[in-house]
Amino acid sequence: MDDHVTAAYLQGGVSIVNTIVINHITKDYGHNRGVFDLSFNVEQGEVLGFLGPNGAGKTTTIRQLLGFIKPDSGKVKILGKDCFLHADKIQKSLGYLPGEITFMDSMNGMEFIRFSAKMKKMKDLGRAPELMEQFELNASGKIKKMSKGMKQKIGIVCAFMQDPDILILDEPTSGLDPLMQNRFVDLILSEKKRGKTILMSSHIFEEIERTCDRAAIIREGRLVAVDSMEKLCSGKKKKMEITFADASMARGFCDDFEDKETEIADRTVSVHVGMNIDRVIKKASVYTITDMSIHTQSLEDFFLHFYGGNKHD
Amino acid sequence: MINLTLYKKEWKSNWVMLIIFMGVLTMYAIMIISMFDPEMGDSLRTMAESMPEVFAAFGMADVGTTLLEFVTGYLYGILLTAFPAVYIIILANRLVAKYIDNGSMVYLLAVPEKRSKIVRTQMIFMVSSLLILEIFVLAVVLITSHFMFPGDLDIPGFLRANAGLFGLWVMFGGVCFLTSCVFNETKVTLGFSSAVVIYALLVQMISQVGDKFEKLKYATPMTLFNVDGLISNEQMAWITCGIMYGVGILCYIIAGQVFKRKNMPI
Repeated sequence: MDDHVTAAYLQGGVSIVNTIVINHITKDYGHNRGVFDLSFNVEQGEVLGFLGPNGAGKTTTIRQLLGFIKPDSGKVKILGKDCFLHADKIQKSLGYLPGEITFMDSMNGMEFIRFSAKMKKMKDLGRAPELMEQFELNASGKIKKMSKGMKQKIGIVCAFMQDPDILILDEPTSGLDPLMQNRFVDLILSEKKRGKTILMSSHIFEEIERTCDRAAIIREGRLVAVDSMEKLCSGKKKKMEITFADASMARGFCDDFEDKETEIADRTVSVHVGMNIDRVIKKASVYTITDMSIHTQSLEDFFLHFYGGNKHD
Repeated sequence: MINLTLYKKEWKSNWVMLIIFMGVLTMYAIMIISMFDPEMGDSLRTMAESMPEVFAAFGMADVGTTLLEFVTGYLYGILLTAFPAVYIIILANRLVAKYIDNGSMVYLLAVPEKRSKIVRTQMIFMVSSLLILEIFVLAVVLITSHFMFPGDLDIPGFLRANAGLFGLWVMFGGVCFLTSCVFNETKVTLGFSSAVVIYALLVQMISQVGDKFEKLKYATPMTLFNVDGLISNEQMAWITCGIMYGVGILCYIIAGQVFKRKNMPI
C-alpha cells in the first residue's frame, strides 16, 4: 500500500484515502534514539494524534514527513509523493508548525509573517489577519524579545495562513496559556469540519483526546498502538480519591469492589477508574461525600498500565 | 533561477556588513595611494628598508616604482586578500550553516521550492555581493588614482590584476560556502573555514620571508594569485588564475549537491 492510489481502500462502503503514508521507516541515531520500523497512515480528512513522551521519536518522524531528513530504510509519502524527493510539490498543500520555534533574527513579527507568506508564494497574507485576531496576536514587536507563547502564535499563523489541505503540527500548544490552548482546539475542530487532514503531535493526552479521531502512540522510536480515541481512552485509568463523611461509609463503599481496585485510608478511598466509572459514581452516590479529586495518569504511566510494557525492554 | 524573496531578505540582513568592509577597504586604499610619490621615492619604501622581513611577509618586499606596482604591491599583497576573506568566512556561515544551527532553515525549506533553488539563491547572493565589493574596490582605486595622480595608473594592467583578485575571492568563497553546507554547526563552520584561510595566508607569508622557505609557496593556494604575472600578461599567471575560478566554481557545485542531499537536523 505504498502508492497513493492503491492506498485507497474500502471501509464500510466508504472509500478511504491515505493522505500520509508512513511505511516501515527506520532512522537510527544510535543509542536507541531515532525511529524503528515505524508504520502508520493518516487518512484524508482525519485528525490523527501522534502521542509519545519526550524523545520518543515524534519530531524525527515529522522531519521525515517534511523531507528534512531521509529515512535509512522504508518510505514516507504524502499525497502519493516521496517526502524527500518531492518536498517542494508536497509543500504546496502543506502547513507546518515546527516543535521548536526559531525565526529569523532581526525581523519583527509582522515582517516575518510577510516573509513567510512570500516564501510560500502566497499573493497576500491569506488567513493571517483573521488568525491573528483569533489568537489576539500583536506581531509588531521584535521577535527576539517575544515570549514563547507569542512566538508559538506566530508559528500557528504561519502554518495555517495559506489554508492548506494538510497540516503537520509538532506540539502545537506548547507555550500557550489555557485560554489560547482552547482557542487552538477550536481552530483544529473547525479545520476538521472543513475537511483538512491533520497530524498533530503531543505529549499531553488530553489535548489529543479533545481533537483527534485516532491516535498513534510511539515510545522509544517504536509504534505502540494506532487506534481510535475511544478505544485508547478505554485503556486509560484515572485515580479517583473520594473522602466520605466517616470511616464506616468508606469501608462500605470498598466492600462493593475487588480489593485491588481500591485503597482505603481512614475516610478516604482511592479507586482506579477506567471502564468502571459509571459504577464507581453510582456506588459512591449512596454515601455522604465530603471531598473528591481525580488524578489523571501521566502518559508514561498510561503506557505502563495499558500495555503492561517494561520501560526498558 | 533564484528565489527573489530570499535574495532580498539576504540583502536586508547583510548590507550593513558589506558597507563596513567597503568602508575599511576604502580607507586603506586611499591611504596607500596617497603615500605614493613618483618623484622622491616613497616613505613606505624607507620603512620597508628598515624592516625587510616584515614587509616581505606581507608581500611588500620589492614593490616597483610605478603607481600600478605600488598599489598592487601594498594593497593586493595582504589587505585585499585577508580582509575580504574575513567577510567571506562570516557571510558563508550566515547563508547556510547559521540557518541550520538555529533551526530557522525550516522556514526556507518548508516552502514550495526545490532545495536546489534555495541553495542557488544563497550562492548567487554570495557571488553577487563579492562582485559588488570587487567593483567598488576597483572604482575606489581608479577614482583615487585619477584625482591624485592623473594618468599615472596603467589601467589595463590594473584590470588584469583585479580579474585575479576576484578569482581568489571566488575560490575562498567556494571553499567557505562548501564548508557551510557540509557542517551543521556555526562554530564548526567558522572554525574550519577560518583554519583553511589562515593556513593559506600564513604559509604564503612565511614563503615570502626568505629563500629558505621559498618552496612553501607550492603549499598554499595563494600562489595561484600571481599579481605581477597578470600585470605583465604572462600565460602561466592566466592559467593559475583560471584554476582559482575553477576551484571556486567546483566548490559551489559540490556545495549545491551536498545541500540537496543532506539530512537537516531542523
